Amino acid sequence: MRILIIEDEKSLREDVVDYLTENGYKCDFATTIKSAMQKLSDIVYSCALVDVGLPDGSGIEIVEFIKKNNPEMGVIIVTAKNALEDKLEGLKIGADDYLTKPFHLSELSARVYSVLRRRNFGGKNSLVFDGLEIDTTEKKVIANGTQLQLTKKEYEILVYLASNPTHLITKEALADAIWGDKADMATSFDFVYSQIKNLKKKLNEADLKNYIKVVYGMGYKFKD
Amino acid sequence: MKLLTKSNIYTTITTVLLFAMGIFIVYQVILIRLDNEVDKQLLSTKEKIVKGLQDGISANDFLSNIGQKIYVRKVESQTVFGNQFIEYVEKDPKDPSSDGDITQRELLFQTSVNGDVYEATVCNSLAEGRKIGDYIAVVVLIFLVVSVIILFLLNRLISAFIWSPFYDTLTKIKTWNIKKNEVLNFKDTDIDEFFLLNDTVKDLTRQIQADYHNLKEFTENVSHEAQTPLSIISTKLELLMQEDNYNEKQHKLLVQIYNATQRMHKLNEGLILLTRIENKQFVETSAIELTHAFDEKIEVLEDFIEAKQITIEKQYNKQITKEVNPVLLTILLNNLCINAIKYNLEEGGTIKITVDEDSFSVENTSYIEKINRQFLFDRFNKNSISGSLGLGLSLIKKIVDFYNWQVTYSHKDGSHKFKIYM
Repeated sequence: MRILIIEDEKSLREDVVDYLTENGYKCDFATTIKSAMQKLSDIVYSCALVDVGLPDGSGIEIVEFIKKNNPEMGVIIVTAKNALEDKLEGLKIGADDYLTKPFHLSELSARVYSVLRRRNFGGKNSLVFDGLEIDTTEKKVIANGTQLQLTKKEYEILVYLASNPTHLITKEALADAIWGDKADMATSFDFVYSQIKNLKKKLNEADLKNYIKVVYGMGYKFKD
Repeated sequence: MKLLTKSNIYTTITTVLLFAMGIFIVYQVILIRLDNEVDKQLLSTKEKIVKGLQDGISANDFLSNIGQKIYVRKVESQTVFGNQFIEYVEKDPKDPSSDGDITQRELLFQTSVNGDVYEATVCNSLAEGRKIGDYIAVVVLIFLVVSVIILFLLNRLISAFIWSPFYDTLTKIKTWNIKKNEVLNFKDTDIDEFFLLNDTVKDLTRQIQADYHNLKEFTENVSHEAQTPLSIISTKLELLMQEDNYNEKQHKLLVQIYNATQRMHKLNEGLILLTRIENKQFVETSAIELTHAFDEKIEVLEDFIEAKQITIEKQYNKQITKEVNPVLLTILLNNLCINAIKYNLEEGGTIKITVDEDSFSVENTSYIEKINRQFLFDRFNKNSISGSLGLGLSLIKKIVDFYNWQVTYSHKDGSHKFKIYM
């Protein structure tokens, strides 16, 4: 899976590239519309991450270019503020998803995974680990051959964690991913905590210990 | 009390007192003068009588003049020397039944002419003089009343005219809004004090406005400029936290830094949101049905409601559609509902949502005591509850103000109720 990251802010770009590379993607980057177009013409990417505010114009141009030349490719746009217009325009011309800055890297990884899964028509969409299979098409979780009965939220949390294997997912990132900014921090942390507890219990019962590790005070880790 | 009314009252009281005193003095002076006049007449009559007696006119031949009664008789020996003035009161001879007494002034004297001693009394009625005095008093009184009224009215008129620039200034200051970038322009005036006042107020407001805008700009800039470094800090921290090999102390430090950063993040987001509402950046509107919006909100928050086993009571008396900004309404309902959940009882509380024709309210049972109303909607008034940013209620107030609605808080039987009148 090859991903193109089009972002002019050096620090953020490096973090994104590092994080996604660690998650097993091959990453290239571009900092301007011109260089992005160049790369897009040369190489076939599975997904592109496009910042709307670029030094030589709007990232929307790139989205249009991709949709014209390579409609199979997944596109996630990144907008600086809560710029509603950018988001609407981006989605209208065919972006698959959008993120507003600032975002959690784990959130980005989960979105990339989700876009790639949706783009990959026909093939089997599942995350497979040792003894654990998450079928994202059927929304089923098979643990050591038996299907786990998970609530909607437990399932969402598990998918989110599993799409960021070996990474620490902060409790904020998890709460944000599941409720967005709709819920207040303190309340949602408690809820995340109880959900994780139930999830761990269910995994334990299926003899899958140690998949979810609680990192005290920070968050959670999905261990492959 | 208005300054004009007050000053007018003082002027009027002073004028009335002065006039009253004046009248009294004038009346007294006139009376004294009239009495003197009477005495002079009496004395001149005395001279005539003495001269008449010397000329050999018989005592019985002295006739009373008009308004003057004269009695002359012969006495044995002189017992009275000099002039004796006597004043006495008698019934009006023309109308004895009436109460109208007449004061009489009498001159009694004895004189010896050619060895004979004569005693004479000359009596003058003071009624005429007193009457004149009374007339004068009445005329002066009428004059006083009329002049006081005229003075009062004139004073009002002139004062109103003179003070009009002041009232103009006052009205303009009152309606002046620091948030609107308007310059105060006052009525022209040739009164130095008012001119100075206007000038000072103008300078002052200009200064305040400049300071306000600077401060506002500063806060806005701080919030906005803080965003990027804050995001960088968060992201880098998240990356730093990915490492495994921390000892306990380092781990603890990292957690503390991370929590503080997240808090800062949320705070900043809240402040930016407040600023955006203040700057009227949520102008687009769409028609939203309130009961529907509440239902949607409750569905979103279902997890938290279930976790605390909260019972939701809906009392939708009316379906109300409002033309509002969807983002603002979402934030408003969100804050109301989240507070109702967050501060609810740990288990088995209730939330009652009421929607009426022109109001809606969210009422919840709670573990916290009644909130002090005074600073309820102020920023960072946290009621010492941990985990709160202290911006929630302030946001509610801002949005309510934005739509010119009213929000009230009441506390009854352990239930907190926020009601919004549209």
